[in-house]
Amino acid sequence: MDEFQEILQDFLIESFELVEKLDEDLVELESNPEDLELLNGIFRVAHTVKGASSFLNFDVLTHLTHHMEDVLNKARHGELIITPDIMDVILESIDLMKALLNTIRDTSADGGIDVSECVVKLDKISGGDGKIDTPVSQAATPVEEVAPAAEETSEEDIDYDNMSPDDLEAEIERLLQERQSEDKAKREAKIAAGEEVVSLEPDEVPKEEVKPEPTPEPVVTTPVPVTPTPAPATTTAPKTDAKAAAPAKKAATVEQTIRVDVKRLDHLMNLIGELVLAKNRLIKINDDVEERYEGEEFLEELTQVVSIVSLVTTDLQIAVMKTRMLPIGKVFNKFPRMIRDLTRELNKKMELQISGEDTELDKSIVEEVGDPLVHIIRNSCDHGIEIPEVRVAAGKDETGTIKLKAYNEGNQIVIQIDDDGKGLDAEMLKAKSVEKGLITLSEADSMSDKEAFGLIFKPGFSTAATVTNVSGRGVGMDVVKTNIEKVNGMIDIESEVGVGTTMKLKIPLTLAIIQALLVGVQEEHYAIPLASVLETVRISKDEIYTVEGRSVMRLREDILSLVHIGDIFEVERILDSSEHVYVVVLGLGTSKLGLIVDSLVGQEEIVIKSLGDYLKGIEGIAGATIRGDGGVTLIVDVVALMDIARNVKSTVMTDNPSTAQITLEKSKASDYCVMIVDDSKTDRTIMRKALEPLGLTLVEAADGQEALNILKQGDNNFDAMLVDIEMPRMDGYTLATEIKKYNRYKNLPLIAVTSRTGKSDRMRGVESGMVEYITKPYSADYLASVVQRNVNFKSEFL
Amino acid sequence: MSDKLKDIINKQGQQQENDGLNHSDDVVQLVGFVIGEEEYAVPILAIQEIIHPFSWTRVPQVPKYVVGVFNMRGAVIPLIDLRLKFGLPALKQGDETRFIVMRHGDDIAGFIIDRLTMAIRIKKTNIGPAPDTTNGDDTMIEGVGKQEDRIITILKVDKLLARDF
Repeated sequence: MDEFQEILQDFLIESFELVEKLDEDLVELESNPEDLELLNGIFRVAHTVKGASSFLNFDVLTHLTHHMEDVLNKARHGELIITPDIMDVILESIDLMKALLNTIRDTSADGGIDVSECVVKLDKISGGDGKIDTPVSQAATPVEEVAPAAEETSEEDIDYDNMSPDDLEAEIERLLQERQSEDKAKREAKIAAGEEVVSLEPDEVPKEEVKPEPTPEPVVTTPVPVTPTPAPATTTAPKTDAKAAAPAKKAATVEQTIRVDVKRLDHLMNLIGELVLAKNRLIKINDDVEERYEGEEFLEELTQVVSIVSLVTTDLQIAVMKTRMLPIGKVFNKFPRMIRDLTRELNKKMELQISGEDTELDKSIVEEVGDPLVHIIRNSCDHGIEIPEVRVAAGKDETGTIKLKAYNEGNQIVIQIDDDGKGLDAEMLKAKSVEKGLITLSEADSMSDKEAFGLIFKPGFSTAATVTNVSGRGVGMDVVKTNIEKVNGMIDIESEVGVGTTMKLKIPLTLAIIQALLVGVQEEHYAIPLASVLETVRISKDEIYTVEGRSVMRLREDILSLVHIGDIFEVERILDSSEHVYVVVLGLGTSKLGLIVDSLVGQEEIVIKSLGDYLKGIEGIAGATIRGDGGVTLIVDVVALMDIARNVKSTVMTDNPSTAQITLEKSKASDYCVMIVDDSKTDRTIMRKALEPLGLTLVEAADGQEALNILKQGDNNFDAMLVDIEMPRMDGYTLATEIKKYNRYKNLPLIAVTSRTGKSDRMRGVESGMVEYITKPYSADYLASVVQRNVNFKSEFL
Repeated sequence: MSDKLKDIINKQGQQQENDGLNHSDDVVQLVGFVIGEEEYAVPILAIQEIIHPFSWTRVPQVPKYVVGVFNMRGAVIPLIDLRLKFGLPALKQGDETRFIVMRHGDDIAGFIIDRLTMAIRIKKTNIGPAPDTTNGDDTMIEGVGKQEDRIITILKVDKLLARDF
């Protein structure tokens, strides 16, 4: 049973791959019905599926594919011209085949789908019983040949299962001979027909078309490598040439591949992720070591190793990423068929031009972009391309063109969809949106054309007067936006009325490891996916304006709405913000937002890690990453952030003055709190002795760092600080500068107590924000009086 | 960390000798810790590791008791302050503060506790049900363990790890 399952799995994988290719081929075939290469390919699919399904006892599928095979077989023998009507039947049968394959995948059986109707149609076509409209001259000749052709295929099927290889070869040879003689007859008939009726190509061309056809046939029908056998069967010189060429070409195009479970690749990707994190850490450590042991000999070696590790890791990452890459052609394949169906459905003339189908994308992304593209193309067909009469009246070619193009651009893939239809009318879009209540009139007025184009992505938006099969429900483009945003992509629309529309989907190459911009706010860091960052600008606070309670700025000719990252992530404002801020301009889909941050830390390659079940679904956070220093940095979810931003009230500009003055009413002497910062225990004791008589609360710190930590903890509300200048770890000047950064301590009196008496020392003290300068030695009374003055010590406590 | 572990193992060994409780079937092994004034315990098997506190990253839009996330050998793990979760005022972390990383199935989180006490071996018969005052299935209390001179509240690890916001 397991073996059966295994075979079944292989069968399904193979069949789906084949079918995917089939759609494209069939449509191409319709416009080019004489292309034998294509016909052979299509026939091979039907045949392969039939062979395998009969082996696996899927009778319904076998039944269907058998009849498909009959029709196709005839077509490739030139006994049948593929007309659009026949094509419809063939396409229908392929749809059925797909449905059957899906059923088999889900239930391991092929019941539940009625194929009889389609089989009858197919049968009629292959039977040529007059109901189907085929050219007379050709329909006449094949009639007699239909029977042998059908017999042949059935013969093969019955026979080769039980044949010994020798018999098989003999049989093939016999069939080939038979076929060849048929071919000759047919060719002559065809030439005659071609010249008389269809006036196709000159007679050499059909000859060539017929020649290679016996070759592929045995390749498919027999799994044993019998390809060389047809060679002896050939009689004429040119035939041998064609045949020798054909298999050679085939061998060249066969790619060396193995199928790997996606899970394994995912696992590999995770491991690489870990490695990238370790690499980042190593680089950081290397930098630290370099700083500390500058000029040491071992450093050079270490640096070398680090750079090699980093290089190899990057290469490895790219290599693994590449294994997960699929050509976008996988998605593009279904569109020719779709356009064809739409052409008939909408009575328009349309042509699809595909290019760049080899462009590769991560598997998970390829899966995500399929649906959006369907919607965009349907939209272009339905709303973009005009009906032929209108097009002609507008002086355009009757046939509308839709170009589907994929290409690389930096770290992104761009999928571009152009149509030469009527274009988007910004005014009309605005009017419609207002009418449907999606935007207000004033919003509409202040909207640029680009923003107006973005309206088509709003859920519920539709310009179609009536709901048709193709569009008008107002869901499609919304799906586009959601899906593209899900993969951190951007949508860019350009359009000109009467000329056409260009839509660009910009999608990052991979999802697991991304380039990110690290930004700082207060003491926290956040990572923003670089793919969503359009630019960063540094502005002064004066350039931020407030319009209807929201902050905006002028970015060149646009107005950009702003939001402070701290407002979104509830960051406590402890540090005093400077006069200048940085604005990270985020772009997503068609919308833009300016995110105000305190600092830009830099660009780094980060690995996205989930926050786990416990913390999943936090708005605005897409995950976390581990930084070089081992710390965790949260990754901003730009999609969610843009949503949140709409409802966040800005507080950037309002530096809350109340927090700066937490001067509580003092009711007793010990309510006054003074910190003594000095590295010498003796000095601290001297100061303590001098101040104790006042009854103040005294806190001691041995150096600047410790003092800063005590301040940060905020257990006491200090009224003054006595600061020594020369201290280990952090000196008094640095401490003063650091303290002044905090809103809360901006006005805290700092009193320098030092033995440095130089004028420059005093100057530095003032610069760093010291209010008093006491030189050692000092009298206890003097110190006490300075402190009293600075803390506004109430006299009644004395 | 290793010292602490050794300590625990030693104590455990002593306890084993003292009590002579070798029938592991009816004995539950717990790790005791203190939050505020109370002593709590969780099954030793639910504990992945006990570590010294280190820096973490704040996470927005979560209840106060979820203090953030931290990096444990490459995994991002939520950190929960049990003092805050149990409605006690926040306390500065001291020398005895520890992070206990607990796991239940795929759920994992670190918990800040005031201090560890010891590994406890307790007979199942000495564990009583949660007091009636705690409400029904929602309770975080698995049971109450009685030892000579004290009472230990045994917590449900799955409830501790369940997201309740």
